[in-house]
Amino acid sequence: MKISVMTDILEANDRIASANREVFDKHRNLVLNLMSSAGSGKTCLLELTAEAFSGKLRLGVIVGDIETTRDSERLERHQLPVVQLTTGSACHLDANMISSALPHLDLSQIDIVIIENVGNLVCPAEFKVGEDDKIMILSVTEGDEKPLKYPLMFRESTLMLINKIDLLQNTNFNLEEAKANARRVNPDIEIIDISCTTGEGIPAWISWLTQRYQTKFGNLKRA
Amino acid sequence: MHEMAIAQSIVNIAVAAAEKQNARRITKVNLVVGELRGIVPMQLTFCFGLIAENTIASGAHLGLEVTPITATCKKCGETFIVEDYRYVCPKCQSGDVQTVGGTELRLRNIEVA
Repeated sequence: MKISVMTDILEANDRIASANREVFDKHRNLVLNLMSSAGSGKTCLLELTAEAFSGKLRLGVIVGDIETTRDSERLERHQLPVVQLTTGSACHLDANMISSALPHLDLSQIDIVIIENVGNLVCPAEFKVGEDDKIMILSVTEGDEKPLKYPLMFRESTLMLINKIDLLQNTNFNLEEAKANARRVNPDIEIIDISCTTGEGIPAWISWLTQRYQTKFGNLKRA
Repeated sequence: MHEMAIAQSIVNIAVAAAEKQNARRITKVNLVVGELRGIVPMQLTFCFGLIAENTIASGAHLGLEVTPITATCKKCGETFIVEDYRYVCPKCQSGDVQTVGGTELRLRNIEVA
């Protein structure tokens, strides 16, 4: 006998993600799920973001790593509220893990929650965690064909930051080709070129983030 | 290895659906998986087998219908299957195309005894 089911396989995850989203919305948090390969500059970007926002919008970070708490230690130096999730063998964060992190953050004292996902260009894109936007970093040293090889993450992301552009002349990375490839998979994707080393493009990223927050909530909470 | 988490969800959904109908054993689980999902069928089948052990889905066959990546040309309107990451319209050669299919991840039905 055949039983028709027709259920999205990640439905259970998505249900928890919606519940997380309700909690975030209640506390007026803009939530971004930051994804990329390992070593593309996620933690570095967060450090720069914390500095830029110091005294303005209040950041909180949930960081996922397979092992070690090195990332959260780096971020705590910037006086950021950080929750570290060590996933063991899991290659991505899912909605349930984020749900378990929520009691450890005072969300009422935070404006923007950035979830630093496990470094991996494939799996994190599959799992909603309750975010407003998925955003990603592609770094110059990874190659300009990555959007075509790992299309789901590029398709799911609202914004792609191209990091390490200070290294452009040392690689065969073609910036225009990378952008064209990303837009083939996702015509609406926004793109900002940055270098976490030189600081180039960081102001554009900060204003994107501020604008995104204002679009969701109107004026700044602290203003 | 997101296949492990996905396999766990498949078993959960399949077992719940079978128990609702008082079925004793699941013989086959049929999925629709879009190519964009980046799921490796062999790995998913392997993970499913492991997780299904000691449930009524133990030994069940996993049927995978893989749906291709499809795109629509924004110039001429042609819809086509994207092969080998070639996001180029086969009719007018434009690269200005939009991905429209290949993201499915759904449990279609189960076969029970």
